[in-house]
Amino acid sequence: MPVLLKQILSVSWIGLRSIPQRPWLSLATIFTIATVVTVLLAFLAMSEGFRQTLTGGGSESVVLVMRGNAEAELNSVLIRDQVALLNSAPGIAKKDGAPLVSPELYVVVDGKKRSNEAKVNLPLRGMNSEGIALRENVTLTQGRMFAPGRNELVVGESLLREFQGFDLGNIVRFGASDWKVVGIFSAAGSVFESELWSDLAGVQSQFNRGSTVQSVRMRLTEPSAIEDLRAYIANDPRLNVDVVTEKAYFAKQAEGTSDIILMLGWPLAIAMALGALAGALNTIYTSVATRSREIATLRAIGFSSTSAFFGTLTESLLLSLLGGLLGSILALLFFDGISTSTLGSSFTQVVFRFDLSARLLLNGAVFALVIGFLGGLTPAFRAARIPVASAFSDR
Amino acid sequence: MTRGSLIWKNLTRSRLRFALTLFAIFIAFFLFGLIQSFDRALNAGADIAAANRLVVSNKINFTQPLPLSYVNRIKTIEGVDMVTHQNWMGSYYQEPRNFIFGFAVDPESFLAIYADDIALPPEQAKAFINDRRGMIAGANEARKYGWKLGDLIPISSNIWEQTDGSKTWELVLDGIFEISSVDTPANGIYLHYDYLNEARSFGKDSTGTIVIATQDPALNDEIANAIDTRFLNSPFATETRTEAAFNASFIEQLGNISLIIISVVGAALFTILIIVSNTMAMSVRERTGEIGVMKALGFPAKTVFALILSEALLLALIGGSLGMGAAWLMATVTAGVPGFPLRLVLYPDIWLMSLGVMIVLGLLTGLLPAWNAYRINIAAAFTRA
Amino acid sequence: MAENISEISSAPTPLIQLRDVSKTYRKSGTDITIFHNLNLEIKAGDFVAVMGPSGSGKTTLLNLLGGIDRADAGSIAINDEELTHMSESRLSRWRADTVGFIFQFYNLMPMLNAASNVELPLLLTRLSRSERRKNVETALQIVGLEDRAGHSPKELSGGQQQRVAIARAIVSDPKLLLCDEPTGDLDRGTAAEILETLQMLNRDFGKTIIMVTHDPEAARYAKRVLHLDKGHFIEKELSS
Repeated sequence: MPVLLKQILSVSWIGLRSIPQRPWLSLATIFTIATVVTVLLAFLAMSEGFRQTLTGGGSESVVLVMRGNAEAELNSVLIRDQVALLNSAPGIAKKDGAPLVSPELYVVVDGKKRSNEAKVNLPLRGMNSEGIALRENVTLTQGRMFAPGRNELVVGESLLREFQGFDLGNIVRFGASDWKVVGIFSAAGSVFESELWSDLAGVQSQFNRGSTVQSVRMRLTEPSAIEDLRAYIANDPRLNVDVVTEKAYFAKQAEGTSDIILMLGWPLAIAMALGALAGALNTIYTSVATRSREIATLRAIGFSSTSAFFGTLTESLLLSLLGGLLGSILALLFFDGISTSTLGSSFTQVVFRFDLSARLLLNGAVFALVIGFLGGLTPAFRAARIPVASAFSDR
Repeated sequence: MTRGSLIWKNLTRSRLRFALTLFAIFIAFFLFGLIQSFDRALNAGADIAAANRLVVSNKINFTQPLPLSYVNRIKTIEGVDMVTHQNWMGSYYQEPRNFIFGFAVDPESFLAIYADDIALPPEQAKAFINDRRGMIAGANEARKYGWKLGDLIPISSNIWEQTDGSKTWELVLDGIFEISSVDTPANGIYLHYDYLNEARSFGKDSTGTIVIATQDPALNDEIANAIDTRFLNSPFATETRTEAAFNASFIEQLGNISLIIISVVGAALFTILIIVSNTMAMSVRERTGEIGVMKALGFPAKTVFALILSEALLLALIGGSLGMGAAWLMATVTAGVPGFPLRLVLYPDIWLMSLGVMIVLGLLTGLLPAWNAYRINIAAAFTRA
Repeated sequence: MAENISEISSAPTPLIQLRDVSKTYRKSGTDITIFHNLNLEIKAGDFVAVMGPSGSGKTTLLNLLGGIDRADAGSIAINDEELTHMSESRLSRWRADTVGFIFQFYNLMPMLNAASNVELPLLLTRLSRSERRKNVETALQIVGLEDRAGHSPKELSGGQQQRVAIARAIVSDPKLLLCDEPTGDLDRGTAAEILETLQMLNRDFGKTIIMVTHDPEAARYAKRVLHLDKGHFIEKELSS
């Protein structure tokens, strides 16, 4: 076995050293595989970034209450009586003696993308101070928090980055009312950073919502307390509402879009990979053809056909590995961390960054190696079958 | 034998290489055709728009309501021919994942304003107008869920709730329509606004968007201004846009899809360009001796140049046509799938565009090898052999 | 000053006339003079073998006569046409009309069958498809390969391949055949057959043939032999 291994290594080495004899063809193979890997990684990073943004903000111990079957905050309506009933529900954490319950209004306003001036939907969330207390990781980076009773906005950092007109101190007009941007907040890159926040009562009055809200967020004393809460709701016919943990809500919201991205990305990458595979096969077949005499000579002096097989496969795997590496570097350079936005399940823009994790890079590398393996397999069989006698024939 | 068959013989001399290169081109154009038709299908909404139609929405955002009274007030503005309005239902059938585009409308004015776009048999239209609890459904939707005329269909809403707390609306299917103006599957349902408005527990006498037909598209700007000015200082300020602009804004919300499309198609074509040009260059290098012989036999250098360039063009045209053919096949197959959300069509201009790309690919991959062949020195070619 | 003129023909103008031809190659920085003021006349209908050691200029001579390479000085007139100042494209046309080439390694197109290989030069003519087919048939008949028309080169023996190459050389009915070691890759028996075919073409069809060879046996089939040595001709009559 060590003898065979030694043979394989030396045949591989001879083969690899001949790569510079086919510089353009080998480079072309590397480039094509790199392009395919870059495209794949871009889609994976987009999907992953979107998912991370949504799920990153969701807490296990915060529940979201919406009207039954509403699916999203935008569709939900809760009246004041229902909010009052929820205030006295069991299992709710308290702060300074008051239950951490946040009635919230979620309305959609127009914004403009910085990149192409496209008119898009942005979420404006009206809430009280409990709402901010409920959310972890929220810090004001500029200005101050909105004051109750005034048309004041605080703006998420992601939203500020992607959409124009929300800089600190700006006056923003929604319909017939003016709003002043008084602060900028960060929320650890979560989906909350794609929102505008203001005082609940102000939003209710400016958007003609009376005393209704759309959702109620509550902090549980512990995650298992959700069962007590569910029982409480089930027992009261006035509470025709659904309860989900914030984490589950966001996971579901993430699913649709990130799945669609993957459903587009994988078939595209696979189709492109088939094209690249054709290129790789071409290269390796050519390599075997130009080296057939050399391979036959090696066989004549005693190298096994197995070593010819693996020597050829090694060439293909090396080229694909280089391609995968180049593709990963290109993806890291051009896609990792770039910020963009798309329409989320809440019918508003979600700002997210392409997220190229090590796990995804590994996916890309494996993908490249699969192309390399398939591209080298049949040429390797051909190399193994080159007759020894062809070393001696003269043409 | 002809020059054509000589080109063909040269191209196919190594069957394996020919097949692999052809396949790579095939894939690129398959993607090209599909993605182009996908892009077109996404933007079909902008095509359905008539030049004389305007959409009035709440200035804050089109999801914000408008008072129903605006409909009659807009009717009185000069140059306005017809007015109708639509209220978003947030509808689904049986389960939330069976989501349906649903609107509550005023049937008579709705059917009048969309007469050129919605194909509905006159007796069905009449039945719908006269039946308060009636609805019409797109043929694609009806086929997907197996609905038949006269069926009583429970439609749920994730927004509206009846005063009795029910979120399900029992509707009679009075008509099944097709979209006649563009190649887009007929999806969605329409029901009576009056029925929704009377029964819903909140949001009474408000609507979503108001659609108007102007007497002349040339008056569009003037009318839009007149409308927006009239409501400027009310609690419900309006924004009036052409229907095309309104529809296009939905797609823009998804992000820069055309950029993604251009990038992916570009990457695929770039990959193929590298593969094919290398293969062509290699093929010509290997044939140096042969090309020398052809020149010795009296083939002028420019003929040799043309032969090699034709080879590259032929390769691109065959591979490209096969790829486009496969894309067409795929589009045709998906058109037969009930409920497939998009109708993919390879419009003549997509074919034309692909032909252009094929020729460019052929030229890019063939010019350099052809030039090398042009320059091959006969005497040098012989000493090499 | 005067180089030895091989033969002053009694015919009005010889088919081939070289006057004071010089040719120099530049190889790795140094000039190598192949010919200096070379003169040669060959009359129509002759069959000349050119012999000489490697590097004596045999192949260069053939290239000059075939319009493949250009002289640095002097004039080359073949069939009343002066090659020296002809443009590349006219030279191509002239080659197609006037010269047939036969190479040591046959140089057939591997992807074409025998008939198509023979037909190749006819693609440069205005002949119709049926006329081309007829000419190909005739050419293959002359070399005795009419029953191999559909075979590809790799299905043919070396001798057969050379016959196809000869058919290709004569299919457009050129006056002059230039052969570069036509039997160099063949065994003696097959070589004899090929040489007899060339002899027949010279005798029965009046082709003027110039054949470069190493092999004295092959040279014996020619009407006369020219020895090239260091760029000069030494004529030897055959002693057969």
